[in-house]
Amino acid sequence: MKRFLSLALALLMVLCLVPAAMAESVADLAKAAESMTHEELVEKALAEEGTFVVYGNTSRIVTAAENFSALYGIAFEGSNLKDAEIYTKLSTEIEGKSKGADMVMIQDGASLQSIAIANGYLVNFVPASVKANVAEADQNPLIQQFINKTFIWNNKGENVPAITNVWQLTEPQFKGNIVFKSPDAEQVNMNFLVMLTNEEWSGKLATAYKNLYGKEIDLGEYPNAGYKWIAEFLGNCVFGNSDTTLAEEVSQETAQGKIGLFVLSKLRSSSVLTENLTVGQYQAAETGVAIEPFSGFMYPMYAMLSSNASRPYTAMLFIEYLMGADGFKPWGKSIGAYSGNAEIAPLEGDLPLADWKASLVMEDPAYILANYEDVYFFVNMFLQ
Amino acid sequence: MLNPFSARQRARVRAFFGKPANIILVAFCAVLSVLTLYPLILLLLETVTVHAGKEVTSIKLPRGSFTLYSLKNIFATSRFNYSQLTFYQPLFNTLAVALTASLIAILFGGGVAWLITRTNLKCKKFISSVFVFPYIMPAWTLATFWATFFKNVNVGAGTSNGIMAAVFGIYMPEWFVYGYFPISLVLGLHYAPFAYILIGGILRNMDANLEEAATILKTRRWRMMMRITLPIVKPALLSTLLLVFSSAMSAYSVPIFLGSPVRYYVLSTKMMSLINNFPGQGYIIAAVMIIFGVSILAVNQKITGSRKSYTTVTGKSSQISLVNLRGGNWPIAIILTVLMILVAVVPLITFALESVIIKAGDYSLSNMTLDFWIGRNLNYLDQGDSTGILLSAKVLKALGYSLLLAITCSVVAGTSGVLVGYGIVKRRGSKLSTLVSNLSFFPYLMPSLAFGAIYLAMSTRVPGLQGFAVLALIGSVKYLPFASRSGVNAMLQLSGEIEEAAVIVGVPWYKRMIRILFPIQKSSFLSGYLLPMVSCMRELSLFVLLVPTSNTLLTTMLMQYSEKGWAQFGNAINLMIIIVVLLVNFLVNKVTGASIDKGVGG
Repeated sequence: MKRFLSLALALLMVLCLVPAAMAESVADLAKAAESMTHEELVEKALAEEGTFVVYGNTSRIVTAAENFSALYGIAFEGSNLKDAEIYTKLSTEIEGKSKGADMVMIQDGASLQSIAIANGYLVNFVPASVKANVAEADQNPLIQQFINKTFIWNNKGENVPAITNVWQLTEPQFKGNIVFKSPDAEQVNMNFLVMLTNEEWSGKLATAYKNLYGKEIDLGEYPNAGYKWIAEFLGNCVFGNSDTTLAEEVSQETAQGKIGLFVLSKLRSSSVLTENLTVGQYQAAETGVAIEPFSGFMYPMYAMLSSNASRPYTAMLFIEYLMGADGFKPWGKSIGAYSGNAEIAPLEGDLPLADWKASLVMEDPAYILANYEDVYFFVNMFLQ
Repeated sequence: MLNPFSARQRARVRAFFGKPANIILVAFCAVLSVLTLYPLILLLLETVTVHAGKEVTSIKLPRGSFTLYSLKNIFATSRFNYSQLTFYQPLFNTLAVALTASLIAILFGGGVAWLITRTNLKCKKFISSVFVFPYIMPAWTLATFWATFFKNVNVGAGTSNGIMAAVFGIYMPEWFVYGYFPISLVLGLHYAPFAYILIGGILRNMDANLEEAATILKTRRWRMMMRITLPIVKPALLSTLLLVFSSAMSAYSVPIFLGSPVRYYVLSTKMMSLINNFPGQGYIIAAVMIIFGVSILAVNQKITGSRKSYTTVTGKSSQISLVNLRGGNWPIAIILTVLMILVAVVPLITFALESVIIKAGDYSLSNMTLDFWIGRNLNYLDQGDSTGILLSAKVLKALGYSLLLAITCSVVAGTSGVLVGYGIVKRRGSKLSTLVSNLSFFPYLMPSLAFGAIYLAMSTRVPGLQGFAVLALIGSVKYLPFASRSGVNAMLQLSGEIEEAAVIVGVPWYKRMIRILFPIQKSSFLSGYLLPMVSCMRELSLFVLLVPTSNTLLTTMLMQYSEKGWAQFGNAINLMIIIVVLLVNFLVNKVTGASIDKGVGG
């Protein structure tokens, strides 16, 4: 009897496993679909049922999803969430096997790698129709666009802080005059600081120091020039909670002498008095004098499939859409957004992506993950 | 089959469960243990577990393994002064803020309570009805108002002037605008109604004979105050101190608004910034906050327990002789009225104003629009939403969700409160009754944010405990203390004979409840429903980690808007929340006679 029971149980277990093994994973579907044409994707997507669910940490993802939904007649639900909320939801939904997102758009490459990709929550997909136009390095995980945070200052009054070297920001007269979103309120800001401690950037900072003051940098206790700059820069900063608010504040008539490091595209907001602001890098492009050694930083926004997508082909079609000119429109209509698709040029009046990349600190998720704890502990000293 | 219990034991068990009060107590004892103690164990486990992401890469152990890494970091890491900055300093700030806030609440709330109940102060009606406003309004309302009113070019980011500087030319110093002082003051004002209700209730019911006797003996006023009035309200003072202390300790939104511009961290804000990257450390801070809460419960229990006889001096006596304020009457009345208008009315006007201007700081008519309320196709604003809040499906959906959640929590908590009150009072003095009484009060002492963090950990382990279910559950448990307190108070006032008469004629228990007990104490019981509802509508910290999306509830949506910097939409939504809460409070009060003060004060 006992033996029979265990045999029956074993059989039952196998039977339960078979359908799971037979259903192809989203990753397999995505791999197979990388050779599909646009028409094939549309056909497969339209055959799927249910509401198409999108999570993104950019508000304009909802606009893009609205346009996409109108184009193909697919019902959607779009949520604009914070990075941490997206990861919490993904892990709860995927591990709890409950229905959740089909597609996710997210920033902060380090967390993406260590949480979502390491645990198999998100799956990569590069549409065949755009593959040739996306740089090899930007394909896995697929970068939909780049966003920049750059030095922008108030151009009113006598003491306009038109800096030409980031070390100027560490001088006493800048104390309390720099606004920056707190690195513990937004991951990409912390990532930027971590990147400054690597060999390349700490070296460039040391050179910039010498160029400004005409002498070698005295590191004291600091491991390298990156740490020294972080310490002195943060010491002079006033922290805010939102880049939009920072842009608004620096643009006030009363904000003379103030400079900020925030998202360039925030200048689009109707509440910002853009005429009072000067973008450092734009001025550099005119005068030919660039800010040494960087004028801010840049981070990618990734577009990926959820591994428990219930409309995987719709998600793939949406990614293809986002990589095209129409899908990029919600971002492309203002400055400060640069498509991962080389065919789509930035807005007239903005600089080409290549120029920005040359003057901004880019993220390297591997370096950030390897050094995060050290720099976090260090930065923590200057947050309070 | 062998039965391990003898016939006599079985009969005793049957007799025990024959009484509805016992069934209620046993059931609530079991349910509350699961809902408060089980999460607590989960939380403690989280503090020694490796979480996905940065913890895996820093500790170099697989996800889910056991580790003391987080404990070591929080309590004993001297590298870069880490523990000091991450834990000890914020802990010190938290204690300083909580203590100051409770003192302000007691002095202000208690003082006004004395003025209202024991003196011939003018404008009593206005002052007493507006006094509870700051408690009904979300705490951050006052915080944002404070910052927009007093900010100036010399403090914080120093980019623009608020009303005080722009209109009156007065530039307040930094310590006044941000940090310890305003955080404590705003929290103190927010919880002052607590003190007002608790202390006022005792002053109102106090036996006037004591004071009359003193008056006959020609005792001086201050001596009467020191020797009679103060000792009688002392337990209420201590209760208020402890309750406000534990609430202020877990406050999150006020320190975020008023602390971050000057880098002033408290435990709750530190926990939120840690929980994204190093969840283990965040959970440890949550555990510390809970330990404080439990200790406060124990202290409170000891004080009120040993002083029980004092508070029961409530024999309804003849008229209390009111203190004549004489020449001081009008000045005090005017000062209080102005203060009340500043604290309760001006913020509302500011929010209305801020929700109609396009470019910040420009209050000319040409810069005003109603688009944030009723506009359509607002893409030109580029502030996230393209529709005014009154027409936006997203906002209305959140309003509906918030209301539904508030009603659900109020029904569950309110009904449980009535039952728990019945059980506790019927079996007063028994161990079981004391245990349930403590268990049902325990959630009050759990810092909201920490409680939310525990339920988050629980929701990932219990299938089906997501979305609305987990929000409704945590809301009901968290607000049960309000309901059970008013339930107990209402039952205490009922004489046992009322029910006994019905028992003798064989009226079943549920009919006794519905037909006799509930109708008699309707307004007290209903107050137990109202408080959870009002608190739920304006709750942020408890739900912020558990909502499916930021757009789910009005409060979480508001928080997101303020983080994104969409100030006008944010202000409009803020005003909407306050109006809804005031409206609910007003309607329930008019229809049923229930009111907030009855719920808290009893």
